[in-house]
Amino acid sequence: MRKLIEFQNIVKSFNDSLVLKGINLSIHENEFVTLLGPSGCGKTTLLRILGGFISQNEGHVYFDDIEISNVPPYKREINTVFQRYALFPHMNVFDNVAFGLRIKKQDKNTIEQKVKKMLKLVNLEGYEDRPVTLLSGGQQQRVAIARALVNEPMVLLLDEPLGALDLKLRKEMQIELKKIQQEVGITFIYVTHDQEEALTMSDTIVVMNAGEIQQIGTPTDIYNEPENRFVADFIGESNILEGVMLEDYKVKFDDQVFECIDYGFEDNLEVDIVLRPEDIDIVPIEMGRIKGVIKSSLFKGVHFEVVVETPYREWIIHTTDKVEVDKEVGLHFFPEDIHIMYKMGTY
Amino acid sequence: MKGYASLVKPYILWMSLFIVVPMLLIVLYAFTEHGNALMAFRFTLDNFMRFFDPVFIKVLFKSLEVAIITTVLCIIIGYPIAYIISNTSERTQTLLILLITLPMWINMLVRTYAWISILSDGGILNSIFEFFGLAPIKMMYTDFAVMLGMVYNFLPFMIISIYTVLAKLDRALIHASHDLGANPIQTFLRIVLPLSMPGVISGITLVFLPAVSTFVIPKFLGGGQYMLIGNLIENQFITVGEWNFGSAISLIMAVIIMGSMILTRKIDRDASDTASVEGGKLW
Repeated sequence: MRKLIEFQNIVKSFNDSLVLKGINLSIHENEFVTLLGPSGCGKTTLLRILGGFISQNEGHVYFDDIEISNVPPYKREINTVFQRYALFPHMNVFDNVAFGLRIKKQDKNTIEQKVKKMLKLVNLEGYEDRPVTLLSGGQQQRVAIARALVNEPMVLLLDEPLGALDLKLRKEMQIELKKIQQEVGITFIYVTHDQEEALTMSDTIVVMNAGEIQQIGTPTDIYNEPENRFVADFIGESNILEGVMLEDYKVKFDDQVFECIDYGFEDNLEVDIVLRPEDIDIVPIEMGRIKGVIKSSLFKGVHFEVVVETPYREWIIHTTDKVEVDKEVGLHFFPEDIHIMYKMGTY
Repeated sequence: MKGYASLVKPYILWMSLFIVVPMLLIVLYAFTEHGNALMAFRFTLDNFMRFFDPVFIKVLFKSLEVAIITTVLCIIIGYPIAYIISNTSERTQTLLILLITLPMWINMLVRTYAWISILSDGGILNSIFEFFGLAPIKMMYTDFAVMLGMVYNFLPFMIISIYTVLAKLDRALIHASHDLGANPIQTFLRIVLPLSMPGVISGITLVFLPAVSTFVIPKFLGGGQYMLIGNLIENQFITVGEWNFGSAISLIMAVIIMGSMILTRKIDRDASDTASVEGGKLW
């Protein structure tokens, strides 16, 4: 895939506080990229820099190999779906969607055709004459998407577009957005703090924290191979522990040595270790690699969330079996379930 | 809540005594014949008929003309100021709005007197002209002086009512417009201006209504010859002692003012029907 956008060492500060600390990132054609991170991590700022609404203090933004830092937003081939939609309240659905085309002075018939086609794509046929203020949140959302996409941009920016919708609608829209992206075949850059949303829709996830990129990878990479404690903690639930990498394939934690599949670390290096709750099995005490007592079991729908206490820590385990509280049990996991990470700041 | 409802009674009494009764008296005077003898009312429409004299109609049109020009000037001057203020930082906004409202803390009469000492033949402006060797200009008692006084006095109302709407305007809408390819001028014409119309319209009401009935400004800056409808009414009551005729003119003015209020409200409602709800209304 062709590289479409490149951020080079983007630094941005607001009133002395550093929001972006040198971001380097490439985004390709037809890619669905998600910028994921907690609020205040700089993801929206990065998106706004690309949209042209704010400018960086340092660094360069390239679009199709052309530096666009000094190009005003109205001259960029990028369109945005704003956080709270930002629909024009004095216009109906049709006029909102047609806005960009009218600015480009396309002829009336073309505009009508394109708007109709776009409203069909977002499932809003027959809503042309409705005032946008009378639409539901989900419908406004669709108008915002149609209004941006009708301009046939090369890149669509989406700034937490589903944040204001309820859970069910959000899930539907996630699937729909992914479908739309595949249909129109353009680059989507999506900002969210919702890790599940990111895992569902993205080709590539960029995990950010405190103005820095923590990891770039596919959803499975990010989930299964988190690069550090922050990523492991932010994406899904995890048991994160500290240990020592004795030598290749051997890690020690909780005063026990375990076999693992990771290698290439320095001998005796202190590391962080991730064990996903669904990778740990509760077994009879004599078969376990670690022994503990079940402290609690919470029904979560698909699974139980079980907390097992050992002398060293509490483990979170997801299991579909019902377990007895206060029972002594063993915990079992395989070498490939242990994921070793460098401690933050040491790589 | 019910217990508090009776608290409104003193206000009703107050308002009846000092607002409703005087207004009824005006109506009474307007429809009755000459004289202050309380017991000798005689119904007549003569007071109204008298007004339809070319001399008085001319005064009415002059008043409307001055008020309309004042309003238009206030829009032309006030809109850009309101726009610029709404685009500054929040702290600057507070400061500038304070500066604009500051003169209103001082009585209008005093401010108008101040203009006299600026504009008069030996006043500040002419002294400056003289200093630069320019011939003195006659400014007092001209249309210019009256218009200046009017715009000066009523401009803050226009600025503030437009500013209130502009300040509430969602910045994201402007970003969205830029995002869709509209340059700053297109964005202003298609987004900012239509969405700020409710502010302009309430500004028109706030400026036009007092401007059409003012008598202090034309009296001081226009001189004794400068006759607007407000001065005419004042004269009838104070100088001539024709309370009945004065009351009739007041009523005619009231009808004109009410009519223009209904009209502006209607325009506003039509505008906001298409402009929908969020534009921010001041009434």
